[in-house]
Amino acid sequence: MLRRIFDRGHRVGSAYALTTFARVLDGRADELEAYLAALPRGAESPFARIGTLHIARVQLFRELVHQGPAQKGRDVLRHAHLAFTSTIDGDLEPYLDELAAKVPEADEWWGRCVGYPGRGDRSAFRRYVRSIQAPPGLFRSAMPNARVGEVRAALALRSRVIDFAVSVQGLDADALHARFRETF
Amino acid sequence: MTGGNVAGRMTGLTLFTPVRRRWLWFLWLGLRVTRHLPFMARHILQFNFIKFVRWTIVPRLDGEKLRYPYLFFESNFDGPWQHYIDAFAYVIPLDIRVTWGRGPGFPAPPPAEPLKAWIARNSMEGGTYYCAHAEHSTREVNNALAVRDRFERFRRDSAGLDAAAFKAEWERFLSDAQAHL
Repeated sequence: MLRRIFDRGHRVGSAYALTTFARVLDGRADELEAYLAALPRGAESPFARIGTLHIARVQLFRELVHQGPAQKGRDVLRHAHLAFTSTIDGDLEPYLDELAAKVPEADEWWGRCVGYPGRGDRSAFRRYVRSIQAPPGLFRSAMPNARVGEVRAALALRSRVIDFAVSVQGLDADALHARFRETF
Repeated sequence: MTGGNVAGRMTGLTLFTPVRRRWLWFLWLGLRVTRHLPFMARHILQFNFIKFVRWTIVPRLDGEKLRYPYLFFESNFDGPWQHYIDAFAYVIPLDIRVTWGRGPGFPAPPPAEPLKAWIARNSMEGGTYYCAHAEHSTREVNNALAVRDRFERFRRDSAGLDAAAFKAEWERFLSDAQAHL
């Protein structure tokens, strides 16, 4: 119950925004940065294996930008940190289970961070991600109730409708009716 | 801004900037109140190139002693951010000043140029970035969803019609959906 209330701030419509920060183990930042930069992109991205995922970003930061004379004192980081964000359909737990099951690469990025328990124990994995989750802030989506599968299906349908509309220009009513039944 | 911040047609912009402690309550409250105001959601998303956007206050980082709390901002939108900063700077300057102006050294817009320089300086680079519909703009996605809704209605309404009535219904559908095709 409390979790559901807490999660409200991460959610809009059917979309959920996960934001996490993990401390990178000392001495592992360079290899982690290189690993992330070399990960396949697009359809080959490890995230493409998860059908409920709209957006994911994994970034490492080692310093905080000083904002000039107006900032009193400089914040100097002792460690590098990993920011991991996702925008997903539905609830967090099923996403984390899918992440653990389908994205072994998670061991590579969080495995170089403090306290990561691995993916083998799913409840420990979920607890870890919850433990590094940032508090809710404000999240907005231009498509708050459209799931990834629905977006893809709608894009494909729109394309088919356009092709069909072009192909039936000038047809009489009988031919149009018959062509529609063949096509859709 | 390239590499880890670009996926297909999408750009991810991440900023991590300090907040003055005396304004923390204001920002904390503002983000919570805005959640519950539908007109503010419409206001934020009036730019039809933004897919997802989030703000989160980060009061601390593991293992660090920070003088400031930080505001984490992530926006996912079509195309390079430089194209849109003018729109932000001139259309919603107050929103921007109210939010990021709670931190030190923020160049309150307008004009847009100092804001562009500030974003370039604060943008987090590198890493990896994925978007499930990266090759489709925000407008394309929303148009596709609008066509889907109208097409479903058309299918339902045209079921069982004879050919002449079906053609009339098809033309009505096209007229209704043409702005989204």
